[in-house]
Amino acid sequence: MAPRSRRKAPTNNVAPKITDRDPQLLRRIYEVMVLTRAVEDRMVAMYRGGDLLGSFYSGHWHEAISVGSASTLRPDDYLAPIHRDLGAHLWRGMEPWQVMASFMGKATSPTGGRDGTLHYGRLDLNIYNLPSHIPANFPVATGMAFAAKYRDEDRVCLAFCGDGSTSRADFHEALTLASVLKLPNIFVIENNQYAYSTPLRMTSNSETLSAKAVAYGIPGVTVDGTDALAVHDAVAEAVARARAGDGPSIVEGITMRMHGHAEHDPADYVLKELYEEYAKKDPVELYENVLLKAGVIDDDTVKQVREETRQVAIAARRKSLADPMPDPSNIEDGVYAD
Amino acid sequence: MPTKNENPTYLDAVSAALDAEMERDPDVFLIGEDVGQFGGAFKVTKGFLDKFGPRRVVDTPIAETGFTGLAAGAALVGLRPVVEFQFADFISCAFDPIINVLARHHWRTGDAMPVTMRAPFGARLRAGPTHSQSVESYFAHVPGLKIVMPGTPEDAAGLLISAIRDNSPTLYLENKYLYRRLRAAGPLSLDPIPLGQAKVVREGRDVTLVTYSAGVSQGVEVAEELDKDGISVEVVDLRTLVPLDVETIVNSVRKTSRAVVLHEAAKRLGYGAEIAATIQEECFWHLDQPVVRIAAKNTPTPTSPPLEDAVIPQPAEIAETLRKVARA
Repeated sequence: MAPRSRRKAPTNNVAPKITDRDPQLLRRIYEVMVLTRAVEDRMVAMYRGGDLLGSFYSGHWHEAISVGSASTLRPDDYLAPIHRDLGAHLWRGMEPWQVMASFMGKATSPTGGRDGTLHYGRLDLNIYNLPSHIPANFPVATGMAFAAKYRDEDRVCLAFCGDGSTSRADFHEALTLASVLKLPNIFVIENNQYAYSTPLRMTSNSETLSAKAVAYGIPGVTVDGTDALAVHDAVAEAVARARAGDGPSIVEGITMRMHGHAEHDPADYVLKELYEEYAKKDPVELYENVLLKAGVIDDDTVKQVREETRQVAIAARRKSLADPMPDPSNIEDGVYAD
Repeated sequence: MPTKNENPTYLDAVSAALDAEMERDPDVFLIGEDVGQFGGAFKVTKGFLDKFGPRRVVDTPIAETGFTGLAAGAALVGLRPVVEFQFADFISCAFDPIINVLARHHWRTGDAMPVTMRAPFGARLRAGPTHSQSVESYFAHVPGLKIVMPGTPEDAAGLLISAIRDNSPTLYLENKYLYRRLRAAGPLSLDPIPLGQAKVVREGRDVTLVTYSAGVSQGVEVAEELDKDGISVEVVDLRTLVPLDVETIVNSVRKTSRAVVLHEAAKRLGYGAEIAATIQEECFWHLDQPVVRIAAKNTPTPTSPPLEDAVIPQPAEIAETLRKVARA
């Protein structure tokens, strides 16, 4: 049967009951989502306080997608995130202070201040550091997946993009290559309904963005991007498929960009109704309530995790502020690789 | 290790170098349009699919941005892709991954992306405005890319081997007019030739001709003719534009005190401008004459023979310019 794009759960299987899931994994997803929120809230304040070089690109309301997706991977799988995916970086072990250092141009940032703001990554964590031209990370992601297949490894590569990215040629070319070459890729579209100021209806005429999968002959599914477990389950299935050698998939998570494109942007072009609708759908709170209700965590855990992550964010700011600026004397080194 | 072929062409040299590197290093693979079952538009990779299999000889859809980015990702995690652009003209479709992904990744992150990008370029095949372009200057401006432009079969082999082994992204531009027109005198060495070393291919006293790619054989021919009139031309083959061997250029110009730069690319901001500027910076007090550039007119490359010949530098113009500079 030809693959179809679907709006609901991607399998005929019913999603596992919360009590049948690994409580440690559930708890870890929660901790990283809360940490992501804590670090980003702190960084918004840092932007307002003048700590940062430029603007701050936040992932508020993207936590369920970034952490829900990253939590399906093995550490040796490749990850090609974008600027809304702090959660995926933190899941992998990126330090919050490194991210802050990147937004301050510090010597201790992953690029030593050569690149900055949202351009951070760490190859030792199998995270690609992308340029500004999103989804330039998509073709690169096909290459990492290609290398895994070339070497008969069962690693996969998961790449993120936004709704705006789906209009670009490299989205189409990466999907074309990955599907024709049957590469172990997972393409996660974070549909936050705005590409800077451009609303979704001006970005795409497709009913869903995952519907594009039909044209590539691969599975595509759209899930609630504020529901961490819905994202996790859909991506996990795509990962299993890729790992088994059955090729790439698209998973679209629908959420809302609750801040401006970056903090300098008041985003007064956004429909008020959308903000109101999504104010009730905070992915971190929603997931917290799911775990509370299921008894995976209790009120004390919530208090403890919220306070611990707040302290991590405070310490990260303190460290990154104190970190040195880079030395320009070696600026011409490394233009070419030895 | 020499080639089996007795008098290999420029194209044979490219092919032999690719074959040797693929045999030597299992991480080297080829990717591009029609490179596999068809053997490439110019047949550089004829027989490669049978020999190395579809894992290492990868036919792609028409997706230059896609497969260049794919190569970048594969290189980032340890493979050594050799990308073929069917014509250098199509490389503009991959500008973004070349400039924003490949060229700056190592400088940004310290992680290498060793991708070799082969592209047949150049005029004189009556192929017109979008099949005859010289693209080197677009890329020479961008920090992080190496640019290799061999002018002889000998260099085509040795430089390609070095390009593939190099850890930086490298643009290797093959002059398609030379493919079947230039032959080596004997079997080729398949030893690497270091990047960044120009070569004095003909010694002379009166004037230095700095050139590369098809300009080398063209320049040597003209120099032989001028010799009959007592004009002694030294021909310097740059071989790689980036890195540029300034020392060899400077040594030659300090000796002859006169310099002409020749290339097939359009004159305005062509690589000759960089050479002329470098010569005046390094050799100003040695010069007897201003540095002169011979290059294509600042128009697209036309198709029809009399039109193309009017745009691309011809032997008569090269001879006249050299004569004038040498005798002034």
